[in-house]
Parts: sequence; C-alpha cells; structure tokens
Amino acid sequence: MFKRFLIITVTLLIVFAGATPRTSHEATLAQDMEPITVGAIFDLTGPTSDVSQFYAQGMLGYVDWLNANGGIEGHPIEMISQDYAYSVETAENLYVEFVNAGSVVFQGWGTGDTEALRGRIAEDEIPFMSASYSATLGDPAEAPYNFLVGTSYSDQAIILMQAMLDEWLDQGYAAEEMKVAFFHNDSPFGTSPLDDAEAWAAEHGIATVRVPMPRGATGFDAEITTNVVEAEATHIIIQNVSSPAALLVRNLGDLGLLDFVQVGCLNWCADELLINGAGDYAEGIMGAIPFAPTSVEREGQADAIAWLDETDGPSLAESTLHYTQGWVTMAVMAEGMRLTLANGEELTGPNIKANLETLAEFDTGGVTAPITFTAEDHRGNRALHVYRVEDGVWVEASDLIDLREMEMDME
Amino acid sequence: MMATTQCGVFHESYRSDMQLRPTTWQRLRVVVVFAFIIILPFVASAQNLRIANTVVIAAIGAIGLNILVGYTGQISLGQGAFLAVGAYSTGLLMHYYELPWPIALVLGALITAMFGAVFGIPSLRLKGLYLAVATLAAQQIVGWFVRNWDPIDGTKADGAARELSMPRALFFGDKLNDSEFAFYVVGMIALVIVAVVATNLFRTHIGRAFVAIRDQDIAAEVMGVNVFQYKLVAFATSSFFVGLAGGLTAVHSTNISFERFTIDVSIEYLAMIIIGGLGSISGSIYGAAFVKLLPEILRDVGLWIADQGWLASGQLDQYLPFAEDAAFGLAIILTLIFEPEGIVKLWSDLKAYFRLWPFSY
Repeated sequence: MFKRFLIITVTLLIVFAGATPRTSHEATLAQDMEPITVGAIFDLTGPTSDVSQFYAQGMLGYVDWLNANGGIEGHPIEMISQDYAYSVETAENLYVEFVNAGSVVFQGWGTGDTEALRGRIAEDEIPFMSASYSATLGDPAEAPYNFLVGTSYSDQAIILMQAMLDEWLDQGYAAEEMKVAFFHNDSPFGTSPLDDAEAWAAEHGIATVRVPMPRGATGFDAEITTNVVEAEATHIIIQNVSSPAALLVRNLGDLGLLDFVQVGCLNWCADELLINGAGDYAEGIMGAIPFAPTSVEREGQADAIAWLDETDGPSLAESTLHYTQGWVTMAVMAEGMRLTLANGEELTGPNIKANLETLAEFDTGGVTAPITFTAEDHRGNRALHVYRVEDGVWVEASDLIDLREMEMDME
Repeated sequence: MMATTQCGVFHESYRSDMQLRPTTWQRLRVVVVFAFIIILPFVASAQNLRIANTVVIAAIGAIGLNILVGYTGQISLGQGAFLAVGAYSTGLLMHYYELPWPIALVLGALITAMFGAVFGIPSLRLKGLYLAVATLAAQQIVGWFVRNWDPIDGTKADGAARELSMPRALFFGDKLNDSEFAFYVVGMIALVIVAVVATNLFRTHIGRAFVAIRDQDIAAEVMGVNVFQYKLVAFATSSFFVGLAGGLTAVHSTNISFERFTIDVSIEYLAMIIIGGLGSISGSIYGAAFVKLLPEILRDVGLWIADQGWLASGQLDQYLPFAEDAAFGLAIILTLIFEPEGIVKLWSDLKAYFRLWPFSY
C-alpha cells in the first residue's frame, strides 16, 4: 500500500530520469538492420592492464572488422565497453548498466569479475565469456552461462606436465623421479588448476609441492631454497602473471638452477612479456599457450593482421598474442549469435546458449585448437601445443596434445 | 527570516538543548532530505539506483572509518580487511547456520567489532604511521585467510575457485541482490540508523573521550580518560559499522571474493573521509557520494564530449580511464590545499554566508 501510494505521488513529481548513453563502437557501414548490443568490460588502468589493453583492442578490432564485412547476418554489432580497473564493484555496476542497455551477451575479463557475476548471469540468462579459464567455469552444472574459449587452467597444467613427462622419460629417467613444484599466485586464479593437476600427477607417480608466491614480493629466494633446492624439485610450473614469473625465473637463473630444473608457464605468464622480463634466463622455458603466440604463423591471424594494417594500427607482434585472444573470443561469441539468427530464432540469452552448445569443431584458423561446446561441457577445447623459448621467441615444442582424445583412447 | 542555522538560539529547557535540529528551518531541511531519499528510488533508473546503493554502502563504511580516523585520530589502513570480515561472516552465517539475513548482518557486524578490537590492541603503544602499518597487517592476514580458509570453499560443490556463494536474502519477496529497489530500502534504513547513532555518539561521554584522545592523548589521560580502553572501544565501534557495510555488500552480491576487499579499498575509504571531512558524520556521507559518483559523472562528461564530435569514440576509450584517475588525484590534492576540512566545511561556509544574507556585514 505504502509503495503504491508513493508511486502515485511520485509519478506526479517525475520530471525526467533515464539511462545515459555509453561509449560504443557503432557500425561503420550504413546498415538498415537493427544493431546487436554486446557489453564488455576491460581493465585499461588496473593491475592487469598490461595484457588487458591488447585483449580489448583485439575484441574491438574484431567487432569493427566484422561490421565492415557484413556484420552478423547483416546486423552490425554495437559493442558498449568500459574500463573497470579490475574493481569487482565497478564490474557489477557496468554489467547491470549494459544489460539494461540491451546487451544480450557479455564479455568479461578477470577471475574477480567472472566469479562475482557467475550467479547473476545465470539468473539473467546472459551468455558470458572472459579470459578467466578456471575449469569450474566450463561445467554447466556450476556455471550454466559461462563459456571457456581458452583451454582451462587445469587442462593447461596437465598438458604441460604430459609434455614434461615425455621429455623426462626420453632423457632416461623414471616418472617416480620427477617432482613438480607449483609456484602459484596466492589467489583463486593461482590455485585454480592445482587440485586437478595434483590428481593427475599422483596417477602418474609424480611428486608435487605447492608454493604460493606472495603478492608484491621482491624476490623468491626463500621459496626456491626450501621448495626447489632442499625438496629437490625437478620441474617448476608457474601459474601467475608475467612480471612475478619473470622475477622468479631471474632468481632461479641467478642461483644457477635453470640447468637442473625445467620451468614451465601456464598461459598468463607464457607470453612476450615474460621473455622481455627474464631476458636470457627465459631460454628453454616451456609454455602452455592456448592462443598461438605471434612468433608462429597461423592462418587465423591473417584477418587480424590485415585489419591492423588497414586501420594503420600497430603490427600483430606489437599487439602481442592477447590481441588474437580477444579477437578469437569475440569471434566465437559472434558465431553463436550467427547460428541463432541463421536458425531463424530470436536473439535471446537461452537461444544463444543453446546454439553455442551446438558448436562443433569451430575452426579458429589454428589460433586455438578447434572449439566444441556441448550442453554438458562448456570447455571449448582441451588441447594445445606446448611452446618453448628459443632465441628469445616462442616456438612450437610439441604436437597438439588433446586430452579429450587421450581420454577417449583410454576408454 | 528565521535562521536556518543555530544563530541567536537560546535554549530554555534541557529538552530543547538536546535537540539535534533546534530550529524550524533546520527541521524543514531534514524533511527535504527525507523527501529526496524517498523519491529517488521511484525516479532513478535501475543502474542509477545501483550506483545510489553503492554510495549508501560506502557511506556506512565511511562513517565507521571516520569514527576511528576522524574522531579518535587512529589511522587505519585495515578498512578493506574489516569490510571483508563483515562480508564473509555475514555470508558464512547465512550459509552454514541458515540464519535470516538481518540477524546475520548484525552478528557479522558484532564479529567485526570484536575483530577490530583485537587489531586495536597495538594502538596502545603505536601511533600515527606505526599504527597504520599495524593495521596493514590486518589487511594482509585477512587477505590470506579468505584466500585459503577451507570453510569458504565449502559454499559450493567444487572448491576450485575460492569465493563465497551468497545464499538468497529476501526482503518482502524481492531478492536483495537482484532488486535494487529492495536493497535501497534496506540500505537506506541502515544508513539513517547508523548516521543518527553515530551523531549522537559524539554527544555522549564516550564520543567526547574519543575526541579528547585525538586532540591530546596525554591530556585526556590526565583528565581521567582510560586511553587504552577508549581506543579499543573506538576500534570496536568503528569496526561494527564497517562490518555492517561489509555485510550489506555481501547481501547485495551473488558471489563475494577477496578481490573486493584489497588495500585499494582501504585507501579509497581514506580518500572519502579526507574529501568529505575528517571528524564529521555528514562529511563521511558527502565524501562517499563524491568518490563513488565522480567516475560516473566524468564518464558522462566524456560521453558528452564524444557526442559533440570533438573526440573519436576510439580515442575516448583510450583517454577516459586515465582522465578519471587524474581527476580523482586532483580532487584529493585540491581538497587538501584549499579545503582541508573537506566538503562539509564548504557546506557550512555556504550556510554561514546565507545566515545573514542579503545583509551580511
């Protein structure tokens, strides 16, 4: 009663109130078809801006490229995007704002915002992709509207260990002699792959140890002494971002351990920034990289290279692999929307989700392993090439290692 | 013209002396403020109401911090930790004991108060920067705990990512983490209660003891104030309100993770009370509103500029985030240079100007 009374009183007092317009990358072509609104948040000023800015450019680049090439079934994409400086609160505010502005799908960025929005997107039925690759997000029972375009952290760690184990056996050692130290960011992001990786290692008789890397540490000598030298670790897997990873590699190098210990990085430190940061010490480091680095040529990079050239942008090498990462992530989302429209269905969250779940062996031109989603599994792929730093660039060090195929063979 | 401020008001009874707003015009102003508070949710769009809700939460937290920093003079960098304790204890109580959210909120705030008192113990020996570093320890310890403590994982089936899934909090059938209107009602009631309680706190012997400690702790002790006891009470009271703000953050969300309560948050809250006015309840609210609204306003200005065609939209994406950071820094510097007492002083200067207007002398 009270509320109704107030509403009547207040409607008389309303002068105006409304949504404010947002920054948008609108269609560059004059098209009659109604634009499709897509909300996105990027970290352009926060702690992860070093990589997010390229991811953002890649995503916006893809939208512009797609609009210039006919859009989705003639509909241009209108991407409304905003910097959120890795603040979860800002991310939530922007999400509400963009969804109210008509965004049918959403592009997030980090672990913080992805986890915070997970419950909300499921209730709002908004398909969601981000650059956070926790395996839980690929499980529709846990996160029905999250889709992983990159290989999950768990799978990355397992594939990397598989490659390390193969080399180790080739060198004439036994699996039981192998000991992996997981140096990880002390956060949900860092610990995400550890349970699965340890389970896999235990199955193969490999010993493991967890080593948290404190935030803002200026050196890791103490951690190295205890967990690598004294515990006689033979391998190190780093799940952290590039700067602390490069510092760890330098510490290992200064202590003269790199000849005895094989170091490997999961995707957030296996990039060009690690090589810049660690210098010569980076030689020989292995990397589990779901999105092909710019030092290898892939057919799927061609459109991005041509578009950067056409718009007088920087080269793809300068834009790092995170540019193609953003580009491909948006391409997969666009494919889900294209399928929905091509099937004559209305562009709603549940329809896009259903159509994404029919995506089979979607070819990203070799930038990633082919992407397949099903109603039971939202992990786009479980495969990648392992790379290795040689002469200051990442080069391919293994064939495609596909866990899905390996599991099918086991059965 | 009747005075809108207390000028030439003489009290004839203790009752009138105790009033917070003794003049009719002052009371009228309170009515206007309440009218605004009540009308706002009906006219604001969902996203604007959401921003209003973040201001409400921040205002409660800022009042809490101001009790400690502005009134008692104990610098704290542990705000983020206290918010986290409030948020996680509220969430865990709701999850494991299935307590109704209002009870969980109050218990969460009480737990935070106890936690705050424990971290207030170093304040007996430490002052200024040294105390700030001690409270920084609270920030680090709590940060480690919420990242590694097992019961927090237990809130969901698979513990791969450590964050707390919030159970539903219903308010007359509306979910607090979904309906901005429902949350606004709850949050605003909490803010009004907190503001009135905090204002009255400084009219009691406890509040005056806080101020005495801030102004000169040795003199306060000579006058018979038990400095250590009152410092702990200040930490506990402050943490209670901060914990309440944390709990409200939790019921406003579907998931909470440690990334919401980092050291940046502590610094943001310090900025709020510096800009708003140290040692002022209304200043805390102004400061919270300023800090939370500034980015939104800057964004709208930026978009307006883009609409004028002075900047391509791509350039806007590039520069706006940095302009926001710069404007934020500038606001703090300008406040410190031109009005160290904050927004609340600007407001009282304005009132002083109009007190005898148009015949000021």
